[in-house]
Amino acid sequence: MKKIIVHFQHWLQTNQTKRFLDKGFIFLFLVATLISSSFIFVVVGIVLERGIIPFVTDNFGLGPVNLFRFLTGDIYLTGDTFYSVSYEIGYLIIATLYNAFLALLIALPIGVLSALFIAKIAPKWLASILRTTVEILASIPSIVYGLFGVTIIINQVYLFADGLGIQSRAGLSVLSTAILLAIMILPTITVVSELAIRSVHPSIEQGALALGATVTQKNFKVVLPSAKSGIFSGIILGLGRALGEATAVSLVSGSRFSGYSFNIFEITSTLTSRMLEGMKETQGVDYSIRFSMGLVLLAVIIITNFALNFVKNRIGNIHE
Amino acid sequence: MNRKTLTKLTDMFWQTLTFLASSVSLFVLGAIVVYVFNTGWKLMNIDLIRYDYRSNTYIGEIVDIPEFCLCEPTLSLDEETFYSEKWGVALKNDEDVLGKNIVIVEYVHQNSPLNELVNKSSVGPRTFALLDGYVVRRIAFFGLPSALDLYGAETMIQMLDGVDQFRELELITQGGGIRGSIYTTLWLVGLTLMFALPIGVASAIYLNEFASKRSRITRYFRQFIELLTGVPSIVYGLMGLAFFVPLVSSLTEATGPSLISGALTLAVIVLPVIIRTTEESLRVIPDEYRQASYALGATKMQTVTKVILPSAFPGILSATLLAIGRIVGESAALIFAIGVIIRDEISIFGQSTSLAVHIYAMLTDEPANIELSATISIIIIAIVLVMNFLIKLATRNFAKKSFEGGLI
Repeated sequence: MKKIIVHFQHWLQTNQTKRFLDKGFIFLFLVATLISSSFIFVVVGIVLERGIIPFVTDNFGLGPVNLFRFLTGDIYLTGDTFYSVSYEIGYLIIATLYNAFLALLIALPIGVLSALFIAKIAPKWLASILRTTVEILASIPSIVYGLFGVTIIINQVYLFADGLGIQSRAGLSVLSTAILLAIMILPTITVVSELAIRSVHPSIEQGALALGATVTQKNFKVVLPSAKSGIFSGIILGLGRALGEATAVSLVSGSRFSGYSFNIFEITSTLTSRMLEGMKETQGVDYSIRFSMGLVLLAVIIITNFALNFVKNRIGNIHE
Repeated sequence: MNRKTLTKLTDMFWQTLTFLASSVSLFVLGAIVVYVFNTGWKLMNIDLIRYDYRSNTYIGEIVDIPEFCLCEPTLSLDEETFYSEKWGVALKNDEDVLGKNIVIVEYVHQNSPLNELVNKSSVGPRTFALLDGYVVRRIAFFGLPSALDLYGAETMIQMLDGVDQFRELELITQGGGIRGSIYTTLWLVGLTLMFALPIGVASAIYLNEFASKRSRITRYFRQFIELLTGVPSIVYGLMGLAFFVPLVSSLTEATGPSLISGALTLAVIVLPVIIRTTEESLRVIPDEYRQASYALGATKMQTVTKVILPSAFPGILSATLLAIGRIVGESAALIFAIGVIIRDEISIFGQSTSLAVHIYAMLTDEPANIELSATISIIIIAIVLVMNFLIKLATRNFAKKSFEGGLI
């Protein structure tokens, strides 16, 4: 027995074995990498496979869903669930973009200005407090924001609407959704903008000061424009989060089954909140249609991303 | 007003504006923390992790002749509380949320025969222990009238003291606990890391150490992994529902969404985080380390296990902590991949809720349980903050050590 062990140890130490084991070892690591990088195809593939079912099959005798009406219509479902295929989510696409846009409208100025304050104006101790605050805000999970939204935000929005003489449904509204999303994307925009502002080359700032600009004029007229490409990256990241956010939004948006909701005090629904609500079956068209919506959501995110990247490349950085 | 003062004023205006903007973040964080603590702190106690979420009505009996406790209470009981030395149990009059008079169990001695009751009702476990906080509805005896809760705690204790055996004990267990969700969250963290850490760390090592740096394929690998970060979590939920749920169902005894399918879905979500963070820590390991190792005749395997991995340890630790934070906070993906049914008995092949999904389930329920949601939120925020703090600690110590002092 001992002899065999010694023999085995000897075998382990020959160069040939070492090389062989090494190859196997690296191969295992390669397999892990292949698995990691294949998941994006699994995700897209599965959603695509399930998502096209309602359009290409006859859905247990109900006939295929009309793709054009699906993408452009404004009544979520005509007829009874499981007995109808007239799904239309055009209004949800518009509402998703509209809510995200409103959120950006609120969060962008606040985020960029606070980034400027943290990076250039605040004394060191205050800057570090603010930075920690933003970091904590960024790491709070969306369900906690959802709880905050469903109690505090919708109450305040309800009171605000009431003050204006408008009856809102318990505060569930476009405005609540936009405020909640704005709070959630604010840390992203602040962090990315601050990075961009701090990476503006000092020579540009010194040049501005040498020309007689005050410090504030320099910050607003030179530093911010020089950082706009980086700030744009923050917008792209923030919008991505706002478009894909589900749980928190579904709690404050109300549930809208038809019609466009441009009035900020009306209830609304986004693609994500509609996907979360009322999942009852594990097959059939009402189940598969959620995958179709997931597909549309991915498309919306990708198209927005491309469009914004296109704009970002056009405006560019001043010092580049 | 001359031009100089005008410039000064506008400057001041813009500066104040930036200050106000940055105070928005402070205000929001303050508002959230104050609100959550204000609403949820009163429910925060140790019972939260002991009790079931649902309150059940149990009918308990003692099968054998009980060994009596005949013991003094180990803690001092106030005058409102009535204690039976024979049975080792203290009862107290109380009011429920509707203002109705009830009798609750205040204290049970550890030697009390009531610590092992057989459940006569068809629901719930077969045996259970009497715990403080349970509501006693009635005690039925052999050949005697029952002790009802409307007689009060004192009468109940007197009647109990007078007998050596009772027929049955009807109780309502204390609900509103989150034990099941805490177990689920722990299971999810463990299983997800078990799936994601080996693959993630191995991928990071391959990409940074073995893959040829400039080859197009390596670039594609990186891009594909990076793309995962842009996918919204609800789409991961769909993927879990349509891919992992059937996969797990066909391989194990699970029949639908299960804890394992949820953990697999989470593993895909945290994979890019783990890979990126680990790779960052691998990138700063000086090349001399690898060269020295190879010069000593070490194989690639030895270099990875004895040089690369120990040096990358803080990075892997940060990756793990980041992943835990993400797992604890994730909700949308899990709603699809495990479901929203709050359970008290956890099986990894069955449905249950993590802490975050527990909140979602309660908020979408009618009526919404805001207080308990806020309490769970405190727990989640605390976990996330601790993780963030530990990451800072890990990376700071890592930076301090740098790579001057040698390795082991």
